[in-house]
This record gives sequence, C-alpha cells and structure tokens, in this order.
Amino acid sequence: MKKKNRFLQNKTFVVFSILALCIILAAIFAPLLTGGADPLKGSLMDALLPPCKEHIFGTDKMGRDIFTRIIYGARASLSATFGVVALIFVLGSVLGVISGYFGGVVDAVIMRIADMMLAFPGLVLALAVAGIMGASIKNAIIAIVVVSWTKYARLARSLVLKIRDRDYVAAAIVTGSKTPYMLLRYMLPNALPTLIITAATDVGSMMLELASMSFLGFGAKPPAPEWGYMLNEGRACMQTAPWLMIFPGLAIFVVVVVFNMLGDSIRDILDPKSE
Amino acid sequence: MKHTKVLAVIAAAAAMMSIGFTASAEEKVLNFGCAMYTDGMVNSVLDENSGWNAMRYGVAEALFKFDDSMEVTPWLAESYEVNDDHTEWTIKLKDGIKFSDGCDLTPTKVKAYFDYLKEMGPSGSAKPEKYLEFEAEITADDAANTIFIKTSKPYANLVGQLCHPTMGITDVEHIENFDNGIIGTGPYKIDSFNGVGVGYTLLANEYYREDVPYDKVNLMFMGDNSAKTMALQSGQVDLVENITNVADIQNFEDSEDYTVDIASGVRCGFSWMNFNGVLGNKTLRQAILMAIDDDTICNSRTIGGLYTPGFSVLPSNLNYGYDELVNPYEYNPEKAMEILDEAGIVDTDGDGIRELDGENINLRYISYENRLLNDFSDAHAQYLAEIGIGVIPEYGSSDDQWSKLAALDYDFNNNNWTTVGTGDPFAYMANWATDTTYCAYSNPEYDELYEQLKGEMDPEARKDLIFKMQQILIDDAAVLVDGYYNSSMIYSKKVASAHIHTADYYWLSTEIVPAE
Repeated sequence: MKKKNRFLQNKTFVVFSILALCIILAAIFAPLLTGGADPLKGSLMDALLPPCKEHIFGTDKMGRDIFTRIIYGARASLSATFGVVALIFVLGSVLGVISGYFGGVVDAVIMRIADMMLAFPGLVLALAVAGIMGASIKNAIIAIVVVSWTKYARLARSLVLKIRDRDYVAAAIVTGSKTPYMLLRYMLPNALPTLIITAATDVGSMMLELASMSFLGFGAKPPAPEWGYMLNEGRACMQTAPWLMIFPGLAIFVVVVVFNMLGDSIRDILDPKSE
Repeated sequence: MKHTKVLAVIAAAAAMMSIGFTASAEEKVLNFGCAMYTDGMVNSVLDENSGWNAMRYGVAEALFKFDDSMEVTPWLAESYEVNDDHTEWTIKLKDGIKFSDGCDLTPTKVKAYFDYLKEMGPSGSAKPEKYLEFEAEITADDAANTIFIKTSKPYANLVGQLCHPTMGITDVEHIENFDNGIIGTGPYKIDSFNGVGVGYTLLANEYYREDVPYDKVNLMFMGDNSAKTMALQSGQVDLVENITNVADIQNFEDSEDYTVDIASGVRCGFSWMNFNGVLGNKTLRQAILMAIDDDTICNSRTIGGLYTPGFSVLPSNLNYGYDELVNPYEYNPEKAMEILDEAGIVDTDGDGIRELDGENINLRYISYENRLLNDFSDAHAQYLAEIGIGVIPEYGSSDDQWSKLAALDYDFNNNNWTTVGTGDPFAYMANWATDTTYCAYSNPEYDELYEQLKGEMDPEARKDLIFKMQQILIDDAAVLVDGYYNSSMIYSKKVASAHIHTADYYWLSTEIVPAE
C-alpha cells in the first residue's frame, strides 16, 4: 500500500502553505502586480487621497500609491524576517550544540551570555542595540538576532544533552569518530526537527518584531516601503486619513496569521506525539 | 443628648464638605498641552529654549514685549529714553510690579538679574551677551525707579533685544531651583515640576498686577501631534499649541466645539546646505533649488495652510522687500537637469544617481519631528530623486539635529527658526556671516553688508541692507527654504478665548480666559 504524504494529509498545512506561497509570489512579482508603478514615487498634488479607482488603497502624505507600497513592502518584510529567522536558527543551533556537546567552560560561557541576554525584555534590548547602531533594516535585523538566538541555543543544548551520554555516542567516539563528524552526524540531526518547528513558528513573531522596530523608528528609513514604517508614517493622520494605517496594519495581520498557522501545522505534522 | 452630638458632628462635616466642594467647583483650572523643549527647564542661562520655556509658561516677563506687528511695547517697563548715539538707555519701570514671592520689582532686582546673566551666562549656551553685551554698565536708581544702561557700542534697537525670552526678569536673589523653580513676575508661578516629559503645575500669582484668569494650570508635555489632538478631543486638555497635522486642524476648524487661532508667523523653515561638502558646488545647489516645487509642497494636503511658500530666508509678510527680490531659481526640473548635464554632473553608471568627482551624489539629510520638517525633507528627497540626486534621510531628535548642525556633520539640515527674535533680523542674518555661520558659507560682500548693518541706526537704511543680504543669499543658492510657518493654538469650549502671538514667545497669558 502506498504511504500517504503526512504533509499533504494536513489540510491546514496545505491551505496556509498555498497562501504563504501566494504572499511570496506577490513579493517576487511585485512589478507585475502593481502595473510597473514605483513605490518611491508620488506627487504631492495627489497626497492623502482616500481609496479610489486609481489608488485602491489611497495615497500617503507624499502622494505615493499605498497598494504599490504594500506589495513592495512584502519584499522588505519577508526578506528581513526570513533573514532574521535563518540567522538566529544557525547561530543559536551551532552555539547550543557546541555548548551541549563540549560542556564545561565552553558551556558555562555560552550559557551565561545567553542568560545575560534573557535577563532583558527582548524588544527593549533590541531597541537599545538598534539605538546605538543607528536606524536601518540591517541594524534592526542584527539587534533582533542578538537578543533572539538564545532560545535556539538553549533548545539545541538541551536536545544534545539528552543524547550526549548515550552508549552509542560513546561507542562512536571510542571507534575514532572525529569531533566535527560527531557534531554533524549525531548531535545536530537529533536537534534539528525541534529547531525547525521552532523556526517555523517564529516567522510570524519575528515579522512583528521587525515591524515594531520600524514603527518605533529603529528599522526602515524613509522612503522605504516597509509595513512597520508605513504604520508610523500614517500615525499622525490616524483620524483623518485612516487608510494610511489600516492597509499596512492589515498586511502585517494577514501575513503574520498565515505564517503562524503554517508554523503550527508544520509543528503538528512533525511532532512525534501527534502520530 | 448623645444623638444631638452625633447630628451636630454630621452637620458640621456636611457643611465642611459642601464648602470644600464649592471651593473645588469654583477653582478655575486650565489643562494645557504643549511641546517640551530642553526637558522643560526654565533656567534662562542654560540654553535658549529654557528662557523661552519660562516666558511661554507665563512665569517670566521681560522689560519690553512684541505686539503682533512685531513692534516693541512696554511690559515691565513703562517707558525709555535713548541718546543720539544709541549708547545710553534709561528705562523707567512700572510702579507696583511684584514677583510671585511678594518681592517688589525694583531697578536693583533688574540689575541683579542682568548681573546673574553676566556671571552665569558663560556656563550655558543661551549666550545672553547676544542681547545685551556683558561690557554694558548698568546702574539702578530705585528712588527714580529707573535703570540706566550704557553700552560700549551703539545698539540700533536695544529695547527689541530686551524683549528676548533670555532677558525675562526673575528674582535671582530668592530662587532656590533655577532649573525648574524660578520666580518671575508673570501671571503664573511654578507650584511643582512633575517630571521630564510630564509637565508643571502652575498656580495663579497672587501678586500679579491684574486678575489672573485661572487658579491653576496643569501644563502637560505632549510632543506627539496625534497625542495632542486626541487629548483635546477627549477633554484631557482644554488648550494645545501647534498641532501640525493639517487635516486635524481642518477638523477642529470645522467643528463648533473648538476654536483655532492661527498667527501669520515670523518663523522660517529652511534647510542648511553644507558648503564644506558636496553642496559646495554651486551648480548642484542651483539645480536643487530648481528641482523642488515649493509652492506645490506648501499647498499640498500634507502641509497646506501651515506654511506659506517662499524663496527668501525672511518671511514674505515682513517688511524687508520680499516682493522686489528676484528668484533666478524658480521651479524648473528640466532646466535643473540641463545645467547638471552641462556641468558634467551626470549618471555614468546607469544607477539613476548622478555622480560628482566620480562619487554618487547621496546627500545626508538631517531632520527632526517638528513643525512638519520631516514631511518637507521627504518631499525634497522625492523631488531630488526625479533629477537623479540621492538623499539619505537621518531623522532623529532636535538634539541630534542641533549637534550635527554645530559640527557641520550633514549635507542638508532642516530646521525652523524665528527670524526677528529681537524685532529685527540682525541676529538671524548672522547665520550666513562667515564668522557665525553654521554651514561654512562665506561671501565677502555679504560680510561687508552685515558689518554695515551692525553700525547702521537708520531703520530705512537697515531695511535696505537686509534686502541686499537676502538677494545675495538667493543668488548664491545658499539656502533651501521650506516656507514660513504659521503658529496655532486650538482650544475647546471650556476656554472662552486664547491667542497665539506672532512672536511665539508668549503662550500662557492673561488673554487665555475660562468660559463662563
């Protein structure tokens, strides 16, 4: 009998992966979707127009088309989010596996650094880091990575510690397996599924953190089409031109929900307890 | 008997409560939302903002003040006389003026304040000597109630200089907290400073020479425009100054529940251009001025109404010949591109940005969230992109803007200055004199006119000099002018009337009165 694909069996996964794919495709094919409009160009004469036929989401204070800026904003938001998740995944996993495998001083140093990072509220520390380095998307990514890798490090360390003293690990060492081989062949594969699930569920929250940084002026700079920054730009006109906040807010909401649901469904599929 | 006693106690308590409630109900309280500058400090030697705070909060008053035509009128002074050389000034004080601590305002007290400026001025950045030189000899005659000032050089308009908030007189002998607890002669006195970012509690000065309309003013710091708007709408505050969101102002104007008072301002929003950097290139500056459509920006829905467009550093509503000035750099983006091409400032690598000396022209634009400056900076960047000039925005706090301006660490630096702070643009025009500029601008012809202005006493001749200086700046494409800012005050039905003054030094005054 042909074994059914666990991923395709999960309806939530199928629906939300299609939606996520649509979002990614919208970001990639932004010029097609927006009919070649430039997200950075506008005319002051068309400033603050409400949604209309020519500008379905209205225009902003500089007369730029909000629909175009939101579609292009997906590029900035998605690439920055995936960048953050990839960085904290790699950095945290590597440090966690090393910490768990070697133990001793190496473990103590890495984990105390992680404890120091955990002692502060994440976003507040990220704001401090970004504040020192200056406002830019790159610095916002660095700031969030600096405070967010600890979760992965602690997780990877605990997963490695679970198998570190197993007989088969000891057997591998006495039969001459080198350290890099031990780390890559034994330790990392053991931690990887859990770390991947964590990363999948982190996409939504990292996107929110990046948007928060931009909203507070520590991320994207004008005239970049970035959703968090667009929210900030629209804040002053919240009552008189609400479309400046509604559409970027909706964009963040929809994308975060889609990636959160996708992450949850991946967790459901990969979690051994659900089998 | 016991019951009678209990009833008597209850009756007495009820009577006391009713008295208390009545007093509380009759207490006139104004809740005022305003921006905070320099942490709300009121020490006039500390920096320029602190003196402004003291005067704006209705705590300090000066010997003279400006009316809405920017004419000098007596305030604590009654009259003055000056000799023909403009070096000896005799100022007579009004009788019966008292500080809020009950002390009389005497010539000796005024002299003590000027001595304090001389002693402590060098420790701060307010530079009180800009308004009255430290070398001036000051003599107090309490019997005649006059103060005599003899200056080492002629002052065309010393009484205008004495209007400046730094010259707001306080009782320095009795002040214990110069930063947040000064004692002045204004209608209100400081009861408590409630913290940086929070505000002050002010009480009526019982020694004030007139009835003070409010018993108490809760002065609340609100930097954010949306916060001010919503605080006014929710009734948290009764009066706010300078909401800069045009659409919000329009809504208030359309509503019967609010009154908007807008003053045709004497403030100029303008971007400094750093002559030490890439903007030292005159062709580039000319192209920049031609590439930006200031009329459209000022009349857009984003800025509309709060700035009057213009091309000179002095507002068009002042009497310095704006209409006769010639602007050779009217909006003309095609011409801008043409002169750049002719000068060899072209985009050779096809990235959309022109190059100068082999480097892409990406100009660092310093700006801050104040009086729509960031919106102007964004608009400028948008227009400059059209002619292939890149802009890197660096928006931060007013402190960032100021420190980068002072350090010449910028290409553009956007700010908003009052132009006739002493009733005359002499101090303001110093901004482009070689020795006192913040943008490395230098033109010997301008410097010569500025030197002449220093010693010129005839008002018409001064106007002529100022006119010529403006034209030089325009011809040199030295300044990117945003426009002329119109200040505003907006109040709810709880306030019967309020008024924003042209000079922008006077916020809380006895003109602000509660509704019946």
